[in-house]
Amino acid sequence: MTTAILKRTGRRRNRWFAQVGWRHLVAVLAVLFSLFPIVFVLSAALNPLGTLSTTELVPTGGVSLGNFGGLFDRTAFGRWFLNSLLIAGVASFASVFLSALAAYAFSRMRFRGRRVGLLSLLLIQMFPQFLAIVAIYLIFGTITDLWPAIGFNTPWGLLLLYMGGALGVNTWLMKGFFDTLPRELDESATMDGASHAQVFFRIMLPLVAPILAVAGLLAFIGTINEFLMANVFLTSSDSKTLAVGMYGLLQGNERNDNFGIFAAGTLLTAIPTVLVFQLLQRYIVSGLTAGAVKG
Amino acid sequence: MSTPLSGPESVTRTPGREPAGSPPPRPRASRSRDDAPITLTGIAGKVLLLGLTAGIAVWAAFPLVAAEMWTGLALLAASTAGLFYLYLTRRHIPAKYLVPGTLFLIAFQVFPVLYTASTAFTNFGDGHRGSKDEAIVAIGSSSVTQVPGSTEYALSIATRGDPATGPLLFLVTDPATRAVSVGDAKGLRPLDAADVTIATGGKVTAADGYNVLTFGQANARSKEITDLVVPTAGGAVRSSGLSRAYEGKAVRAYDAGCDCIRDTETGQTWTADEQAGAFVAADGERLAQGWKVNVGLKNFTRVLTDENISGPFLGTLVWNFAFAIGSTGGTFLLGMLIALVLHSPRMRGTNFYRVLLVLPYAMPSFAMLLAWRDMFNADFGLINSLFGLNVDWFGQEWTARFAVILVQLWLGYPYMFLVATGALQAIPRELTEATSVDGASPWQSFRAVTLPLLLVALSPLLISSFAFNFNNFNAIYLTTEGAPFPADNPTNGATDLLITYTYRLAFGGQGAQFGFAAAISLFIFAIVAVVSAISFRRTRKQEEVYA
Amino acid sequence: MRIRTAGVVALFALALAASGCGGDSDKPAAKETPKAAGGKLVIWADDKRTAAVKPFAEKFGQENGVTVEVQAVSKDLQTNFVTASQQGSGPDVVVGAHDWIGNLVQNGAIDPVQLAAEQKSAFNETAVKAVTFNGQVYGVPYAQENLALIRNTELAPEAPKTIEDLVAAGKKLKAAKKVTETLCLQVGQNGDAYHIYPLYTSAGGYLFGTGANGDYDPKDLGVGKPESVEAFKKIGALGEKGEGVLKRSISDTNSISTFTSKKCAYLVSGPWAVADVKKANISYDISAIPGFAGGKEAQPFVGVQAFYVAAKGKNKALAQEFVANYTTTPELAVALYNAEPRPPALTAALDQVKGSDPDLAKFQEAGKNGQVLPAIPAMAAIWDPFGKAEAAVIGGADPTSTITTAGKTISGQIK
Repeated sequence: MTTAILKRTGRRRNRWFAQVGWRHLVAVLAVLFSLFPIVFVLSAALNPLGTLSTTELVPTGGVSLGNFGGLFDRTAFGRWFLNSLLIAGVASFASVFLSALAAYAFSRMRFRGRRVGLLSLLLIQMFPQFLAIVAIYLIFGTITDLWPAIGFNTPWGLLLLYMGGALGVNTWLMKGFFDTLPRELDESATMDGASHAQVFFRIMLPLVAPILAVAGLLAFIGTINEFLMANVFLTSSDSKTLAVGMYGLLQGNERNDNFGIFAAGTLLTAIPTVLVFQLLQRYIVSGLTAGAVKG
Repeated sequence: MSTPLSGPESVTRTPGREPAGSPPPRPRASRSRDDAPITLTGIAGKVLLLGLTAGIAVWAAFPLVAAEMWTGLALLAASTAGLFYLYLTRRHIPAKYLVPGTLFLIAFQVFPVLYTASTAFTNFGDGHRGSKDEAIVAIGSSSVTQVPGSTEYALSIATRGDPATGPLLFLVTDPATRAVSVGDAKGLRPLDAADVTIATGGKVTAADGYNVLTFGQANARSKEITDLVVPTAGGAVRSSGLSRAYEGKAVRAYDAGCDCIRDTETGQTWTADEQAGAFVAADGERLAQGWKVNVGLKNFTRVLTDENISGPFLGTLVWNFAFAIGSTGGTFLLGMLIALVLHSPRMRGTNFYRVLLVLPYAMPSFAMLLAWRDMFNADFGLINSLFGLNVDWFGQEWTARFAVILVQLWLGYPYMFLVATGALQAIPRELTEATSVDGASPWQSFRAVTLPLLLVALSPLLISSFAFNFNNFNAIYLTTEGAPFPADNPTNGATDLLITYTYRLAFGGQGAQFGFAAAISLFIFAIVAVVSAISFRRTRKQEEVYA
Repeated sequence: MRIRTAGVVALFALALAASGCGGDSDKPAAKETPKAAGGKLVIWADDKRTAAVKPFAEKFGQENGVTVEVQAVSKDLQTNFVTASQQGSGPDVVVGAHDWIGNLVQNGAIDPVQLAAEQKSAFNETAVKAVTFNGQVYGVPYAQENLALIRNTELAPEAPKTIEDLVAAGKKLKAAKKVTETLCLQVGQNGDAYHIYPLYTSAGGYLFGTGANGDYDPKDLGVGKPESVEAFKKIGALGEKGEGVLKRSISDTNSISTFTSKKCAYLVSGPWAVADVKKANISYDISAIPGFAGGKEAQPFVGVQAFYVAAKGKNKALAQEFVANYTTTPELAVALYNAEPRPPALTAALDQVKGSDPDLAKFQEAGKNGQVLPAIPAMAAIWDPFGKAEAAVIGGADPTSTITTAGKTISGQIK
């Protein structure tokens, strides 16, 4: 009898491993792969000497939070943080909306120049950005003269610039998803007398919520890490974003000196992203679509 | 933001149903019956957004009027009117959805790209950035030298009239004699010592009949001050800031007669060379300050004929493709695999795993690239010490290539993981369940149902990811910088992508050569465009099947 | 019906816009006023110097009733300055290294600074020479820096006279397991021309010959000449396949910290390293970088940090006033030193701080026979190929072919 139970639990364990357990194993391995460079950065952040190569995977010279303190004392980190949140928040929201509009048109409508338009959207992203800087100066030099409120050193100007890239990759991403939704859905809605706008806002958007969340997250991360344009754009220290401010910590001879502080900042930079991810997670994995597609 | 951008529309204009350009199939009369209900939110949203547009347009118009930029104003008026038309008419439905993003795209992406591309036909770059006039001004002002043995004056800026508008004068004090003179474009005249008050440094602080300007007042008229030269016998008194003046002379000046720069002291001339955009002396010596000229196809022929560029081009191109495909394919496979692993209803703690897995993507990538670079250090790096290896990672071709792709994999797979997770959620569970009921193995059902659907959703993304990685400048520049380099060729390394390689060529020499860089970029652009266009054609089939 | 709806919507929208623009329309007018009242002096610098310059620039503003703003450009300050200037959106003053001058001048981005004779003579001669280009002074120097040999006096009490002495002493320490590296001289994967230069000169190499007026002559390129090959043979002998003193794995990121963690007794670095060394509580001393036995003197590069007046700035008169007449005062130089300890270029300021900081004099002594970093635009073509050749030779490549190729690459890039 006991052997039977043992056998059964043994079998159950085997089955558990076959169905779920191996998944945990793979996930743990992946997490290890993901985390070990981050542990390196973490140990640099906790290392009181705060230099680069004194850093080992486990801090040897004791642990201190001095680098985090230094980050706030010596730099305008709090300010950078807020600027980044504002810019990345607004930019990701607006760009997801703009690209969702475009993706809807590209996926559901047939018009002349559709495929050419899609392809050009892709190709335009391919031009090296460091070359475009000259033109950006040209455009925003004029804008700053005319409308200083949306010119250099303002978050609004940078937002405008980011909106220029809104249609890029996100449109492609979302169009792919719109394509997977059965046409019958919006067709039947149209039959019931819904306008194209109603189809878009009431039917399509809720259905693609997961991908809106993914695209929003990607845009958020992309904006928070964007450096090249922001560096050109934001020179006054109050207007800087995290990426620009943090890069400044790594300049030239100082790279070594500031690495501890820099590492601390890097870790803190990840916090808003993780929070946004947590916030969006339920949309990403919700079963919303499953229910809707049934109909 | 759930306000419809456009109001009620007719059912007959069902999006996606009609072939491009076909006329509305029904007569007008029947239309009003089919009209979708005009909702209050629809109208309110429309009013609000169009009102905002008009408001912004009005706000933007004032500075344009003030600056008398009529073309700009016309453009603004036209685009505002266009927007009003677009959202008030019932036609052009696709445009209603495309225009908002496209406007930004044109202003901040298309225009910069076209502008940059146009520089490929010029010698635009360091030393050739501005116009000829600007070069002439720069040459003149950098040749101003102090007249030997001349007086160094203390200076105050003054005017007889209003500080903001009155004609400017220099009040200069000779520090040795404390004699004060007043100077304007006509020359210097002495002032009576009794009329002026002089501070210890020699600066005039007050003078009868004159308003001495404060720094703030003076700076408001900065340009007038720097342009004011008071002619003297030996040269001219010029300001050096707002409190000192010196007697100086512009040694070099432009002579329109010979279209050349003439040195008044040595008599040497440099004649304008409109082909090169520089002033060149008879012996071939060039003045540093040049200007931008059109050079036609010279930049393009240089790409083709310079053996420094064309020589290693093929090898670099092959590696570039390998890198882009490796990075995209690797991140896709790994990301999809892990997404599949976590995509199980029985799986617990997926939220927890997901947060940790997304972390690499949440860290600033430039920071992590630098951290990885140090982890690959041969003697001090974490990787060698952790695994007990002794590999000179960035010192050998294949290990360096492996290392950069590994770093890309680490940086990029969370992205693919996220997207694949989203895509898997969107695939109706019924479909996979149906196949497993039919007795298909998990692998078969994956092959038959999940993968094709994933590919529909992700293939556009894979193409754009490929395109991004093809030009992934930072991935190389912040890690190996192209290393290892063969000892006999410091310009082309084993991990160099075309973009890092051209960056080095265009910006490594005597300053930046934007024109040349733009020309190379156009070549790369053409290559990627062809590849992308071909793979894009293949997506048409998928699109037609599932859409 | 359709037209009616559209009309109503348009009407409402315009009404809304009109109600909004009552408030909007006076905005541009309000913007004009501060512009008229003296403007704003904008200074660009990198992050560290921004922090140092800021308080004094603001003081200048307060004293003179103008607004001064110091802005940090974290990356590509030089190119961004040139590009922004060209488009008219640049700053009025920029702070940067003197070797930018050649490029800034060829782009017409900066104007000469007219210094009075007594202002000029207050500066250390080398510093003035560094900011002089084509006979004109283009910037006001404020700090000067060069490499020196920093040694851990507990491990190496004596300053080595020659590289050979250094290597012998370092190897002895290594054999006794007191250190793991003989010398911390940063090379990195792609070389570091700046840090290897003292050894290169000591072994007989040069970069550019000098013309009759003492300026560097881009036509006389020393890289690729037989002297340079000989020099790199000596450097290669110290490399990974030779003595193992110079290593590519020692890079800008770990050189100083390897020294501060006492893994090597000798460090070749500049004044910027001292703060770290002090923080790590290492007893240290600073001396000149030794040369090869029987070779020439090891000459480090001397670099100068300077203030420049932007040629196309909107407040040029004020910018000139700030640069020519304010940054030339010793008070400012001392204050800048206190913010960032690098030897001041003003002799009076240096004398003032020398007493409290013996390191300054030692660094200056070490740089006494240094060479001013060439400011000619052609120098930009040197760094990359030269560094890579250095890395290759240290990694064991054949010096002759490597340096000859590097020379060809460089001369191909110089116009």
